[in-house]
Amino acid sequence: MKSLVTIREGSAAHWAIRIVTAVLLVAILLWVPTKGSASLITTSIEAMTLMSAAMALNLVLGYTGQISIGHSAFLGIGAYTTGIMVSRWGFSPWVTFPVAFGVAFFVGVLVSFPAARIKGVYLALVTLALGLVFPQMLTWKRFSWLTGGGSGLPLSCPATSATRTCAGVAKTTTGFDIGPAQKGQLQTFKIFGHDFFGDLRRLDNKSAFWYWIALSVVVVIYLACRGVVKSRVGRSLIAIRDNETAAAVMGVNLVRTKAFVFGLSAGLCALPGCVVAIKTGGVSPEGILSLTVLGAITFLIAMVIGGAGSLWGPILGSTLYVFVTDKTGSWADDDKIPGLIRPLFGWSKISPADGIFALLLIILMFVAPRGIAGLWKQYSPLVVRVLPRPAGTGGTPEPLATVSATETTNEGEPQ
Amino acid sequence: MSMLKIEGLTAGYGPVSVLHGLDLEVGEGELVVMLGANGAGKTTTMRAISGLIGRQGTIEMEGVNITKWSPDHIVRAGIAQVPQGRGTFPELSVEDNLLAGAYVRHKGEGVRDDMERWFDVFPRLAERRAQKAGSLSGGEQQMLAIARALMSRPKLLLCDEPSLGLAPLITQELFDVLGRLNTEEGLSVLLVEQNANLAMHIASRVYLLETGRIVASGTSAELSADDSIRKAYLGF
Repeated sequence: MKSLVTIREGSAAHWAIRIVTAVLLVAILLWVPTKGSASLITTSIEAMTLMSAAMALNLVLGYTGQISIGHSAFLGIGAYTTGIMVSRWGFSPWVTFPVAFGVAFFVGVLVSFPAARIKGVYLALVTLALGLVFPQMLTWKRFSWLTGGGSGLPLSCPATSATRTCAGVAKTTTGFDIGPAQKGQLQTFKIFGHDFFGDLRRLDNKSAFWYWIALSVVVVIYLACRGVVKSRVGRSLIAIRDNETAAAVMGVNLVRTKAFVFGLSAGLCALPGCVVAIKTGGVSPEGILSLTVLGAITFLIAMVIGGAGSLWGPILGSTLYVFVTDKTGSWADDDKIPGLIRPLFGWSKISPADGIFALLLIILMFVAPRGIAGLWKQYSPLVVRVLPRPAGTGGTPEPLATVSATETTNEGEPQ
Repeated sequence: MSMLKIEGLTAGYGPVSVLHGLDLEVGEGELVVMLGANGAGKTTTMRAISGLIGRQGTIEMEGVNITKWSPDHIVRAGIAQVPQGRGTFPELSVEDNLLAGAYVRHKGEGVRDDMERWFDVFPRLAERRAQKAGSLSGGEQQMLAIARALMSRPKLLLCDEPSLGLAPLITQELFDVLGRLNTEEGLSVLLVEQNANLAMHIASRVYLLETGRIVASGTSAELSADDSIRKAYLGF
């Protein structure tokens, strides 16, 4: 395969590409909440919660090869931890994030013990049961003292603490309160003259603040996944996925490793749940779609489209999923469909978004079984090929003679 | 004290018992070959030693009873297995496969040095160090599987039919390496094989396994002197 440009990993050119990409990414991330419309911000938050969940799922499914169709329950645990702690006990929403992680981690570890012993379709069924049972449990009468039953819980201060300001939560709104504010006055603060956060109580109807919370969760989960995947544990996860017996005879404790990764994945998946609860301003079984089993399937689709077993896959897949669904969401109305493809979808009285994704999924399984990230890996070398660092990875470049040798062996026919 | 001593080993899968009281010994620095037809229980023996399946009887390593130990403890004790069908991790690079092999060791214990050392022994792996293991040829993958097992610094190496699906020339090369590891490094090896002729060349002692029991044992010379054995296993 010929490529336009060939550079070496860690060279100046490589760093230049990295820096330009990073600057572009940061520019987009800054542009959305400051200059973007309210609906764009909302869609972005949706995309970011989906990618958080998809990244968490990717740890068990993409890297360890354990299928789970029950991750919606972990997101739900996160949402309800926030809901219960804030509205029943008056905690600050901030505190609920680590607690939600802990609770979901614990439940995830419990689930992992049967999961460590079963595989494939059986594991899919067990986790599916978890995903199906969870919303039912929430509406169960015996738990309604805690979960609020079918109507759920609003995210506001409990009535009992009416006299004290409930830590971090404004009494009347579902937002955050960082200090005294005049009635009707927007509560904002500016950095270098730019209003990045919008009104902290969301009185301006622009939820830029929520955007930053969702983004922080994405960054935390990405870093956690990256840390795990690039480590010794990460290698053992891929080892388990690719060949369990070989992993075991290398000294990987299968049960313990699977329990850890399942717990971690569940704990991370709870964090977007907290975001959803805060953003929605309350929790209820019907109010948050992603805590039902449909949510789990959405995580799965977003992850597979983006590329299972790659760090950026779930991010790309979720972004595509949310923005396509958003754009095609209004297509039930004929006039909203772009002229060229109107004959294709115009007959439909319901939004064709799900149908489009189903089709896309089928096509992708043929052209890109490794998702968008896989396509990128396959075709980006046509433009820029990054040669791996030479032997030893000490960073000292080797003579050019070795470079050409590496190149030819890289192209050796797989057998 | 022998490296590995097995007495009355019974093992199998669920209700099906494959081994019925197997006795076997690997002395320190010995290369022991276990021959047997398909279904004799060779792989089952390997899996039982590594702790992958339920087992009864006694398995001792350097005098310590390890029968009830978990697979990861057994690896830490110094037994590494090259599983049948190689079992390299296709999605990991050659280097990462080797690092995965050092899973039970900790950083800074000379893992990198060991890697370079096995690259010297298997120069073809060194050429392909950044390549994904899935893109290697069968012979290269088998070498990778052996090098990976060696990365845990084992005292005893279990090799389950390394010649499976390899060309005779590659098999010869592989057995040369195993023989050298045994004589030069003093590594104890238990080698399971169907390819009796080649294996017996490098063997200190040979066991014959038939339907879950050892039916004969001795040095290569002793066994090939026995007419019936020679006809059944060596084919001449």
